[in-house]
Amino acid sequence: MSLGALAAAIAVGLGALGAGIGNGLIVNGTVQGIARQPELRGTLQTTMFIGVALVEALPIIAVVIAFMVM
Amino acid sequence: MEQYRYMVNRQRKWMFYLLALFVLGWGFLPYREIFSGLILGTSISFFNLWLLQVKVDRVGQAAEQYQSQEKKKKQTLGSVSRLAMAALAVLIALRYPQYFHLPFVVVGLMTSYIVMIIDFALHQKEKTTGKRGEKDGS
Repeated sequence: MSLGALAAAIAVGLGALGAGIGNGLIVNGTVQGIARQPELRGTLQTTMFIGVALVEALPIIAVVIAFMVM
Repeated sequence: MEQYRYMVNRQRKWMFYLLALFVLGWGFLPYREIFSGLILGTSISFFNLWLLQVKVDRVGQAAEQYQSQEKKKKQTLGSVSRLAMAALAVLIALRYPQYFHLPFVVVGLMTSYIVMIIDFALHQKEKTTGKRGEKDGS
């Protein structure tokens, strides 16, 4: 196994770990908020959308870099 | 709820504008590889954006109707499919380097995030002006 594959695995793995934790925190807060006040669903959903999208940009870049070094 | 739908439509509109611009550049400018890379990246980024919009809407709906649902269905955000789509774009660009310029595929993949941030910055005020508990007037 080459070191490039190891580097790719570490890059994707750590990126996905961070994104998983971040997404979990965001969705946790939003779901709690919607359950408390269902009429605020639009606002909370918009905020959640922005948060999830920005959190997921990093693992996507990690995947790209991983495929480039492999 | 309309806020979210308006935001989704605005983002979709801007992604279509950008795609049209890239197709025009591909057709009329001599930088074929750059614009085909941008088109590939932006198309996959657009698909990712659509997927994220649908999934976030479903998660919100599931959270809203959780009490009334008979059978509780689990909703996920489905990050793996989006990561796999990004990997697919990079693999296509690596496999056919004569048609696609790899750095511009990556730039294209990031297009939807740029659209999202600019849209949020421009329309943030509309969302935060209403008081809590007031009906959505936007």
